[in-house]
Amino acid sequence: MLAEDFNLPKQTHEIFSLMARGNFISSNGTKEGMNRLYDVINNPDNFDRFQAYFNVIRYNIERGNNFFYFSKLGETNSELEKKLERFERYIDIVDLLASMDNKITIGSRFRPSEIAEECNANVRLKQKLQKIPLYRSETLHNKVREICDLMSRDSFLEMEDEKTESYKVLDAYSYLLDVINSVAIYEDTGIDNDSSSGLIYN
Amino acid sequence: MENNCRILNRIVEINISNVKYADIELSGNTCFVGTNNFGKTSLQRAILFFYSANSRGLGISASQKPFEEHYFRYENSYLIYEISTEDKSFFVIVYRHNKIVFRFVDAPFDPDFFFTANDEAMKIKEIVAGLEKKGIYISNQIDTFERYRNIIFGTETDKQLSKFHLLKGNEKYQNIPKSITNVFLSSKSSVDSRFIKDFIANSLTTENSSIKLEQVERQLRQFNEKYSDIETYLKKESVQLIELIDKKYDQVHMLKGSQIEMADKLGSSLRFAENQNESMRDASKLKEVELEKLEADFKQSKDNIENKQNDIREEIGYYDRTIRESNKKLKEYSEKNIEEALVKNQEREKLTVEMNIARREYESLTSNVSSIELKYTSLIEQLRNDKSAYVNKINSRTSEIFNHYNELQLLQKNEFNKSDVELKKKREESLIEINSEETAKQIEFNQMKSEEKIIRSTRFYEQEIKNIENELAELRAVSYKNKSERAIKHNMAQTIQREWENIEIKLKTALTNRVNQTNIEIIKLKTEIKEIEQKLDIQNDAFYGFLEKNVKNWHQNIGKVVNEKLLFRTDISPKLKKETIDTLYGISLNLEPVEIVSKSIEEYQFDKNERLAQIRDLEESLTQFQTANSEEKMLAADKYGKSLGEMKEDAKVLSYSLELSDKREQKLVAELEDWNSKAGKEIEDSLSSNRQRLNIIEEELSIFNKKKNNLINDFNKQFDKLKNYNEDRLKDLKIKQETEISEIEVEKKNQVKEYEIKEGKLSKEKDSNFKKKGVDSKQIKIIEDKMKEIKSLLKDIEQYSQIISDYLKDKREIFDKLPDMIQKKEEFIKSNNDLSVQLEEVTAKYNLKRMELNKQKRAFDEELINFNNGINFYTNNFRETPVYSKYSDIIERAEAKRTNYNILDLCTQLLKNDSHFNEEYGTFQRYVNEFTGKFRIDNHFNFIIRNDASLGEYERFAQNLRSFINENKIELSIAETATQIGLVTDSIANKVNELSGQKDKIQHIITLIAEDFKKAEFDESKLIEFIKIRLEESDNKVYKLLKRIQEFRQENGLVYNEGLFNTDFATGQKREISGKAVKLLEQLRNAIKEQEQEEIRLQDLFELKFNIKEGMNETGWTHKIDSIGSTGTDILVKAIIYITLLHVFIKESSHRSSKDFKVHCIIDEVGQISSHYLRELLRFAKNRNIMMINGLPNKSGLESHYKYTYQFRREENNNVRIFPSIVTEVEA
Repeated sequence: MLAEDFNLPKQTHEIFSLMARGNFISSNGTKEGMNRLYDVINNPDNFDRFQAYFNVIRYNIERGNNFFYFSKLGETNSELEKKLERFERYIDIVDLLASMDNKITIGSRFRPSEIAEECNANVRLKQKLQKIPLYRSETLHNKVREICDLMSRDSFLEMEDEKTESYKVLDAYSYLLDVINSVAIYEDTGIDNDSSSGLIYN
Repeated sequence: MENNCRILNRIVEINISNVKYADIELSGNTCFVGTNNFGKTSLQRAILFFYSANSRGLGISASQKPFEEHYFRYENSYLIYEISTEDKSFFVIVYRHNKIVFRFVDAPFDPDFFFTANDEAMKIKEIVAGLEKKGIYISNQIDTFERYRNIIFGTETDKQLSKFHLLKGNEKYQNIPKSITNVFLSSKSSVDSRFIKDFIANSLTTENSSIKLEQVERQLRQFNEKYSDIETYLKKESVQLIELIDKKYDQVHMLKGSQIEMADKLGSSLRFAENQNESMRDASKLKEVELEKLEADFKQSKDNIENKQNDIREEIGYYDRTIRESNKKLKEYSEKNIEEALVKNQEREKLTVEMNIARREYESLTSNVSSIELKYTSLIEQLRNDKSAYVNKINSRTSEIFNHYNELQLLQKNEFNKSDVELKKKREESLIEINSEETAKQIEFNQMKSEEKIIRSTRFYEQEIKNIENELAELRAVSYKNKSERAIKHNMAQTIQREWENIEIKLKTALTNRVNQTNIEIIKLKTEIKEIEQKLDIQNDAFYGFLEKNVKNWHQNIGKVVNEKLLFRTDISPKLKKETIDTLYGISLNLEPVEIVSKSIEEYQFDKNERLAQIRDLEESLTQFQTANSEEKMLAADKYGKSLGEMKEDAKVLSYSLELSDKREQKLVAELEDWNSKAGKEIEDSLSSNRQRLNIIEEELSIFNKKKNNLINDFNKQFDKLKNYNEDRLKDLKIKQETEISEIEVEKKNQVKEYEIKEGKLSKEKDSNFKKKGVDSKQIKIIEDKMKEIKSLLKDIEQYSQIISDYLKDKREIFDKLPDMIQKKEEFIKSNNDLSVQLEEVTAKYNLKRMELNKQKRAFDEELINFNNGINFYTNNFRETPVYSKYSDIIERAEAKRTNYNILDLCTQLLKNDSHFNEEYGTFQRYVNEFTGKFRIDNHFNFIIRNDASLGEYERFAQNLRSFINENKIELSIAETATQIGLVTDSIANKVNELSGQKDKIQHIITLIAEDFKKAEFDESKLIEFIKIRLEESDNKVYKLLKRIQEFRQENGLVYNEGLFNTDFATGQKREISGKAVKLLEQLRNAIKEQEQEEIRLQDLFELKFNIKEGMNETGWTHKIDSIGSTGTDILVKAIIYITLLHVFIKESSHRSSKDFKVHCIIDEVGQISSHYLRELLRFAKNRNIMMINGLPNKSGLESHYKYTYQFRREENNNVRIFPSIVTEVEA
């Protein structure tokens, strides 16, 4: 079956190349016409065609709150585990961002320097930031920058202005929040003295 | 001087740059020889400046000094251009007077004009003075380059100056300096069609006749950004977010308002508590003292009254007893028939008199028989005495018994009475005891009852309730007013909305009508244009073409009589027959007076252009109308939107205030209910304790009653028992008495009978004796009986004497005083009752006052406790919280004022509300962030919020958003954007039209060039066989898109912008068209970005291709000829092309009458060209009246081909000297 048979929009390739990298397409993203791509996928006619087309290559388009992403059909457990491992560091990051005086929420615009300053002034935040395991961490500012880089790469943030180093939180950020909200913490009752606590991802 | 033609003959430099003086002749081919940086190019530029007079178009790079500064360093720096003419020469002085200026001098150049005797260059004033002195005409200062060029290129109208021309140019003369400049500036070695294109285009266009893509891109970006902003705004999610923000803002605002209100109350309460604490404490103490005093006063009054009551009660007791005893005695007397006794006692005197009379009568009758009488009387008397003695004895015995029994009875009675009295006393005592207790209880009961009455009539928390009721009344009044105001505002808003809508409809209709009208007119004009074009297209093959080709001046004859339709028919096969020439089918006509009806091609062209201009005018007028319409729309939106917004805002404020009022009312009603229930509870509490006490007292009273009844019963029983015993005893004694007395009486009777018998016997004896003696015994007997009867009666009366005597004594002493005593007793009872009432009143008053004081004291105490608790809570639990920090200003600045709330409640509520507020505020923030995040950071709505924005900023954002919605600014934005898309496409279409309008000129020039190439005589050398040139369509992507937009604009007019964001199904087609327009603009924007081109110039409208054959090499049709042969060949070809171009442009741009002039072609660096080629080139130029000025790095023999050769040398003082080289011109 050919791509033409599905009568796909011309942006298909662009959409695929973005989402196949594990990126999200958010409605409030502006770089590379992300919002236009969102509109294209969000069009009900297109969506069904995309779904049918991508299912053939074992991808499924998942719809979030104002964002889309790919999930792989029949993913192996080891792949899932890897994903979870990658996700783990986001727990601390989201915790940090949610603990700021001016909470970072979807649509928020901020500069890494602002976060670094606030962390510098607040011991609790500083500890939270220092707890996040990243490589380049000579200064708090650099660490925040690294976080922003990471989140931009994973399409949770978007750098709006390179001059002022201003970032915007994209709709996909709610994916992180949703996943974290569905994490249940259990405590072992201590019948057997193995691990005393742990995480369950719902 | 050459052939008496006009030419730039000489250039003289005086103090120019580092040349002190140089005089260079230019009337033939000239070459400058000198190593680099010696000033060859500077000199060439100075020559170029003569032609171009544009200090900025000389190829001076930005890093170099500007022309003015580099050339004219000194006050006496001059550039002099001498121009030779047909008769004599004139020269132009160029100098700097702030800016570069020119003067024309009508004389050949002479160095003496400029130098003093000391070879010092003079100042311009001196030069002018010197020339004037010599009578040589020198023009005024020419201040502008434009005017200078007009003079040089012969278009100056001033007669004095018009003679100073090099050539007579036409309206396109600007192409000549441009061409000369372009040739000079092009230094590429390869021949690129782009360069030629540029050359041609630059020669044809001005700087402004390009489409500046940066400007277009900016317009597109602005439109695109606005469009995308609006699109984002109109998205469902955004609309939902707006609603959420609006709603949440109200909630947050309300919460904040209530928090502030509460903080203010807290502050007021705190200040009040702090201020009132001490005075409250004092007030409480004062109330306590007042209470004590009240109690003491009451006790004293009560004691007084009770003492008085006791005295009165004693009096009453005394009178009561006395009256009772009197009544008892009266009863006893009555029982003893005192009335009868009194009557009988009244007859006593009468009976005593009767007795005495009877006795004297008896004594008189018996005086004759006194002895017998005496005997018998003594016997009878004896008997009688015996009898009497006996009777007396018996009587005494009887009376003894009687008395004995009477005594016993009396004793018994006394005993009874004593017991009775004792018992009664005992009963009385017990009763008094019980009664006093009962009375006390009763009094207490009555007190309780009156207290209950007081409690029931007391309104607890009256002030608070009254305050709330007042506040409620005020609130309701305000709410009522607000409701009516809101209704008015709603009505006004609706009216404004309707007015607005009417105006919008009116404007829309006007626009639609205008658009339709304009479109109809445009269609009509286009149809006419089409018809004209059709005519022009077919004219060659039609009768018209035939006439043009074969009949001279046919317009003067055939043109006057022929039908226009016939002229453009292609099917009538016209043939020229000489016989009938000047006739109409053989008929000769005088057509002098007849008007020509046929039109020339130019006239058709003119008609077409006129119509095109009309279309443009129509479109322009439509655009203006649309702009005006949009402006009117904006004005209406501004006017009505603002008013509407204000009305809506007012209505919203009123709604909000009503909402607040409702909440406040509900709260107040709840508070009122609370206070009422509190008051009720207070009453109930007071009443319940009262009732309990009352119940107890009632119970006690009933117990007392019972006790009293029991006591009375007991005593009654005892009384009965005593009475019965007494009665029994008395009865028994009576019986015994009667029995003994009757026994004695029987005995006495018997004895008396015996005595009476004896007496009878004696009486009979006496009577018989009397009879015997003659005495009337019968009469005596009657008197005796009478005396007996009287005696008996007297005796009877005597029996009552004692009781009567007692009665009379009692009557005198007691009974007669009884009414007075009753009266007195009544008076005492009344007094007692009065005192009781007084006591009751005093007690009630006391109770009331006591309760009042207690209440006041309790209130003070409670308030004090509340204050202290509140202040403690505030200090310990509130002061350190962030809520305090948030509202500290309000709390600290509040005025001391009593509120209906206590501090503790206020603190708790503030803390509680704050967490709710934070929650709501967080959500509000989230919505605002999400909403703004949907827009670009620099969106034209200014929907932007900083990450660290304060609550105030978020609130202002929401307020602005609300105003935005109320004032319907999105409509304005849409209208603006719609106008913008119209303007953008219109501007693009106009620019494309303007630019592509010159395409014909290009075509014309290219044709001329091609022809000139053909004419070129390369035969001699056979070096270049041919140079061909042709035009092709442009493959510039941006231009293609621009063209498409222009076509789109032409096709759809201006109507499509109406459909922008129009969701109306009826105008759906317009939306589709608008969609296409937006897409096209977007494509253009992307293309501009991709292509990174600054502007679309005339040269981008077409492609130019060359085909050159040199020897055996043919390049084929190509854009760029990198290498035709050797470098020299390349330079040659390039120079040939330039010269051709220059020739063509000069020819095109100069007046046909002006032929005797020569211009220079300045090409630097021709050192690599071979001598043979150079000769060929110079000849090629010469044939076209063009003199070459070239630069050579050093002497190589090439200079021999030039008429003038100048060498450059740098001297020790760094000055450059230019001097002529002595060479022989081989060929020029």
